[in-house]
Amino acid sequence: MNVGARHMNVAASEQQAFEALFTAEYRRVVGIANRVLADAHEAEDVAQEVFIDFHRLHSAAADYAPAWLHRAAAHESLNRLRGARRRQKRELAQAMEEGERTLDPQKQAELAEDRRRLREGLGRMAPKPAAVLVLRASGLSYAEIAKALGIGIGQIGTLLRRAESTLRKEVNRGTSN
Amino acid sequence: MVDDPDARVGVDAAHLDGCAQCKSQFDAIADDARSIANLFAVPEPRVDVARAYARVTEGGAKARPAVRLQLPFGRPLQLAFVAAVAVVSLVVVAFAASGLLFQPTKVKPVAITLSDIQALSQLSDYGTFAWTKEPSFQVTANAADASAVAGGLTPPVVSKLPAGVSTTVTYGGMSQAEATFTFSQAKAEASAKAQGKTAPKLPANVDGATLTVKVGPAVGEVYGNINQPANGTTEQVNLPQLIVAKSVAPSVSSTQVTVTDLKNVILQQPGVSDELKKTISAISDPNDVLFIPVPVEYANSSTVHVQGVDGVALGDNTGVGAAVVWVKDGHVYAVAGTIKQSDAIDIANNLK
Repeated sequence: MNVGARHMNVAASEQQAFEALFTAEYRRVVGIANRVLADAHEAEDVAQEVFIDFHRLHSAAADYAPAWLHRAAAHESLNRLRGARRRQKRELAQAMEEGERTLDPQKQAELAEDRRRLREGLGRMAPKPAAVLVLRASGLSYAEIAKALGIGIGQIGTLLRRAESTLRKEVNRGTSN
Repeated sequence: MVDDPDARVGVDAAHLDGCAQCKSQFDAIADDARSIANLFAVPEPRVDVARAYARVTEGGAKARPAVRLQLPFGRPLQLAFVAAVAVVSLVVVAFAASGLLFQPTKVKPVAITLSDIQALSQLSDYGTFAWTKEPSFQVTANAADASAVAGGLTPPVVSKLPAGVSTTVTYGGMSQAEATFTFSQAKAEASAKAQGKTAPKLPANVDGATLTVKVGPAVGEVYGNINQPANGTTEQVNLPQLIVAKSVAPSVSSTQVTVTDLKNVILQQPGVSDELKKTISAISDPNDVLFIPVPVEYANSSTVHVQGVDGVALGDNTGVGAAVVWVKDGHVYAVAGTIKQSDAIDIANNLK
């Protein structure tokens, strides 16, 4: 086989591996971003960016691929959450979504306000506990979180408990004011 | 136990039932977890995976480039000078080559301006560039895999990381690559004509001559996250905190060109600054010197002593960016990153 043909084969198998990785992980990566942003369109935007970044630099056959994607999705969406300009847009989208439901409007407004505060608090948290929280809320196992964030599995539970407690206090503080 | 009801069995469950203090703590934790989970609840997004895949592959991920070399323009300063060093060093190595074989054993900084880079890039109009062996670059999870890609070359080991540099490490390997550049007076004239200019005459023995350039194999490691944009836009691509690389010294061979011929070709190139002309003219024996082009608008350079040999240090002590390059035992080494120059030299000296 000549050099050109071998390159083409390598490129073809890399493309196949990327497609398989995309099919297997895309939903979950969107889910992680959506958990943070509560905006399906923006979440898809984040997911696609994360996949493009991964594909540029890494081999889709790498065994760290899913872990890399999960971490990047959490970090990228948390970064966006911290962007003030986008926050307004998201709050509006979320408010409209909530408004469409037919629960008690008073309760609905309170819940929406708590969720807004939750994400505000999340944006203020240190990156590591925030990412642990988001990945867990997105359904990742402790082992998957440990792998994605490169931390010991024994630390996950403690980080999670502390993060939940901190965040709840932030939400409650807003409610009592 | 809060997350997983199945975990609440045996001794722990029995203890919880009997200990009021632990039970109240457990209930508080469980309450926090439930409340946060409730607030995190979002409608499941409706996702069309096939359509998203088509969008991603059309939008730039279709073909993974073998090597990522990006031009420095419009990027942050620190990235600009590292990229410029990488790109232009190949050009200068190729054109400072002499005789039958060039393999550097020393490094020397050469001040170069952006207009020089533009002038020298016009040299590509003087012939045809072709890969005879394309480099393949692979990011790997460990040193052994990187070494396998680079034909057994082992990545240097950093024995002393400065405080604040991430310990997250990614390895990479590049296979050896070989390219040729064949000079052609006819091509030079055609491209000059297309721009309404007259091409300078190539010396007779240069027309038709071929330079063969070999680079790599190379291995290296990156500390910190690679290419993680802070806000998802390309303007904010960050230089990793630290890159350490080792490469077999590049070599250039030629069938019929001498160093004087090449010097003359560069000197008659319109747009080359007087400063660079002076430097090139002063080069008497470039056969064993690897020239590190230093973009004067972006970086300072100085000669430093590392690993028992003379090397070139770029950048400063602000932490914006610094690099050290040296050649030892047939290998070129580089340490670069968003670190202080003194840290870069320290890492270089402690490299194993």
